[in-house]
Amino acid sequence: MQVKVAIGTIAFMLTMIVLGYAALREPARLDESTGAFVGRSIETGGQIFDANCATCHGVNGQAEECYDAGSGEAIPCKGLPLNSYFLVCGEPSQRIVDLGWEGTKFQYIERTVSSGRSGTLMPAWLDQFGGPLRPDQIKNVTLFILNWGDEEFCAQEPSSFAWPDTVDEFMAMDDVQAGDPEAGADVYLNLGCNACHGMPDQEGSNAVGPWLGDIAETGATRVEGQSAMEYVYHSILDPNAFIAPDCPTGPCTDPSLMPGDFAFRMSTNPQDMADILSYLMGE
Amino acid sequence: MATFFEQVSEMGIKQATIAKADEAVERLTAGMNISDIRAALRGDAPRRPNPRLRPHADSFWFHIRPSFYHTEVTHIYPTFRLGWLSTFMFVWETITGILLMVFYTPSPLLAYGNMWNILSNVPLGQLMRNMHRLGAEVMVLVVALHMLRTFLTGSYKKPRQFTWVTGMLLITLTALLSFSGYLLPWDQLAYWALTVFLSGAEAAPAPPVVNETILLILQGAPALGAAGLLRWYLFHVLLLPLILGIFFFVHYYKVVLYGISLPPSREQIGDDTAKRVPKAERTYFTPDILTNELMWTALIILLLTVGSLWFWDAPLEHHADPVVTPLHVVAPWYLAWSQGWLKLADKTLVVGFIPLLLVSFIVMPYVEVGKSRRYADRRVGFTVAFLFIAFMLVSNWMGTPEFRVQSSPELQVSQEVMPQEGNNIMKGVPYEYLTPGVYLPGQEIEGNPWLTNALAAFEEGMSRYSCTLNGNPNLPIEWEPCEVTQTGAGAKYANHFTNDAMPDPYAELRITQRQSDMVKLTLFYLVEDPENPGEFLIDSGDSIYSYRNETSGYTEECRFLNKDC
Repeated sequence: MQVKVAIGTIAFMLTMIVLGYAALREPARLDESTGAFVGRSIETGGQIFDANCATCHGVNGQAEECYDAGSGEAIPCKGLPLNSYFLVCGEPSQRIVDLGWEGTKFQYIERTVSSGRSGTLMPAWLDQFGGPLRPDQIKNVTLFILNWGDEEFCAQEPSSFAWPDTVDEFMAMDDVQAGDPEAGADVYLNLGCNACHGMPDQEGSNAVGPWLGDIAETGATRVEGQSAMEYVYHSILDPNAFIAPDCPTGPCTDPSLMPGDFAFRMSTNPQDMADILSYLMGE
Repeated sequence: MATFFEQVSEMGIKQATIAKADEAVERLTAGMNISDIRAALRGDAPRRPNPRLRPHADSFWFHIRPSFYHTEVTHIYPTFRLGWLSTFMFVWETITGILLMVFYTPSPLLAYGNMWNILSNVPLGQLMRNMHRLGAEVMVLVVALHMLRTFLTGSYKKPRQFTWVTGMLLITLTALLSFSGYLLPWDQLAYWALTVFLSGAEAAPAPPVVNETILLILQGAPALGAAGLLRWYLFHVLLLPLILGIFFFVHYYKVVLYGISLPPSREQIGDDTAKRVPKAERTYFTPDILTNELMWTALIILLLTVGSLWFWDAPLEHHADPVVTPLHVVAPWYLAWSQGWLKLADKTLVVGFIPLLLVSFIVMPYVEVGKSRRYADRRVGFTVAFLFIAFMLVSNWMGTPEFRVQSSPELQVSQEVMPQEGNNIMKGVPYEYLTPGVYLPGQEIEGNPWLTNALAAFEEGMSRYSCTLNGNPNLPIEWEPCEVTQTGAGAKYANHFTNDAMPDPYAELRITQRQSDMVKLTLFYLVEDPENPGEFLIDSGDSIYSYRNETSGYTEECRFLNKDC
């Protein structure tokens, strides 16, 4: 019996030692586990993104490479870039500041994905609002989007093309050719302008922003001393420079809902600006 | 009795305190004072009247236990401690279960997140969860072995038939308890295992209205969701433990009433001398049985703790998703036999057979009334029992996906190398060794044993589902030659393993960088139709892939014995 008492006592002490060891390594294990949870959520989010978001926002979320879900053919991207410095870098990120959103960028993306953007092609994805995704899936896809904003990507604000102060100076630049309205129509679609402004040849097709079919005339009335072309040029580069009076749902909101990153998105090929201006001016 | 102050003035403070402590201990133990306990621990003979018997009369916990056992039943044989161990496991599950309840909400919105919260925010949470889940599986095993032991020693025979009946109810309840806990993490494993179970309940051989009502009671709604989770949670933490508790006490009362049966060879055929214990053959509960049980308690706790910490890890798959069925849904091992039967026979037949089997087990001791408990006299019974055990083991094997479950060959290979759920060889490759590139099955990567291993497994998987017709210059591996059979729907290519093999396949593993800390693993298969060159039997494109994030930590899980990667 004494042997049994001894064995039992030793076993009890060993259990205590094992538990003590477990307790000591616990903080490290908890961290690992948190990493595993986030990592796996991002993985799942990536698959959800591929299946649901890439068609409009592009395979890499840059609104550049979009393929039709059925046929697999390349199509213009209808969505905004999500893999963007202005959305995912910094807390709050530039986009959050521009919109006056009072919350984190995580909450902003989660909310936008959940409830969609009314009037645009962006539908509500949360099951409660009629979408196909559960709340946990929306969290996953949000984590995946924010995961683009790693240290390297966010280290430096992307440099923009040095846009001249006036449209005349811009058009006079050596590299800039006269605008091609047909190419401009493609740029209009590829940048997703139609998602908010509708199609210029269809009055009333605009859902969020002002209709641009008559901007060649109305544009000249907005800011004193600015021609229509000058006005559009400035509005693209800085949407908040002047808030247009008429949006489909009443006066346009201030600050503008229009993303401020088109100056950057057109930096790789400034000719796009000339083309889109000529398209909008109905040349 | 004198007050403490009177004692102090009489004996001095030291003696008075000792006397008071002695009195307190005697009250707590309902009869034994400090020197009695010390004498018992030393192994001295008790004084008279024997104070060690008094707790069995006066205390609640001790009155449940007999004051002495027949020495013959206190050795490892014939009980193997399995009944005691079952009880211990029930207590263990109750304690760890209550701790887990603190961190759990039975709601589809929260349950899966709660699991990750337990793993990543609750100190020792993973240990607690592993202990509970490991305990559940050990408990099923121990209870099953207890039943087997009872059968082998003939302990179900008169007068212990009803003990056996309650035991049968207890083993059923144990399996149900273990299984009802399965759903609670609300991951894919849980969701689909229960869905299979419920589809069985729906197929019971009864009028549809009865089946529909049963199903409605079991899941609370037409489909498994929030109501179902709440119900199974309540089954798990309330209803089943309560019923199990009730039958446990009936069971144990009968055990004490009739005594533990002696080894069959120790008594005359037809005798039952368990309760007639000669003085010389008594082993008293205090101190021998008690210290023995305490020793086993300490040892089992140590084993379970070490097991949960280093050797066994509770699985947690992706969030339950009613619209995504994992390729192979498997029942827990202790119910896999039923899944095996489902592959053999009609569902209704199988679901009807299981209760019949249970009833036949319950009535067995009233039908099998042979007097002798001796092994040599029970050859027929043993033969039937061992055939039944063999049948169950084979059925269990048939429950695994290896038996009669087949999808297309490229999905089968992918399931072996990189399934949607569960651990696998790909997850065993650490993130930093997943160098972007294109790799062929069986390729050896210098300085990268992990990826080399995974690619070897890829080739091995391919070899089961591939065959060589003319050879493929892009993947010059010599598979088994194809056996070609012409069917109405085109030629079929077979090897010894499957009759749906890929002729001259091409396959590769593509690793691409998806985000700066995440790679995409794509398994790509291309099989040209040998009869129509230029057309493809299989072109998996980009469809079979999974992501690996740097921090996902799958390799951490691979160190556990029950995670296969």
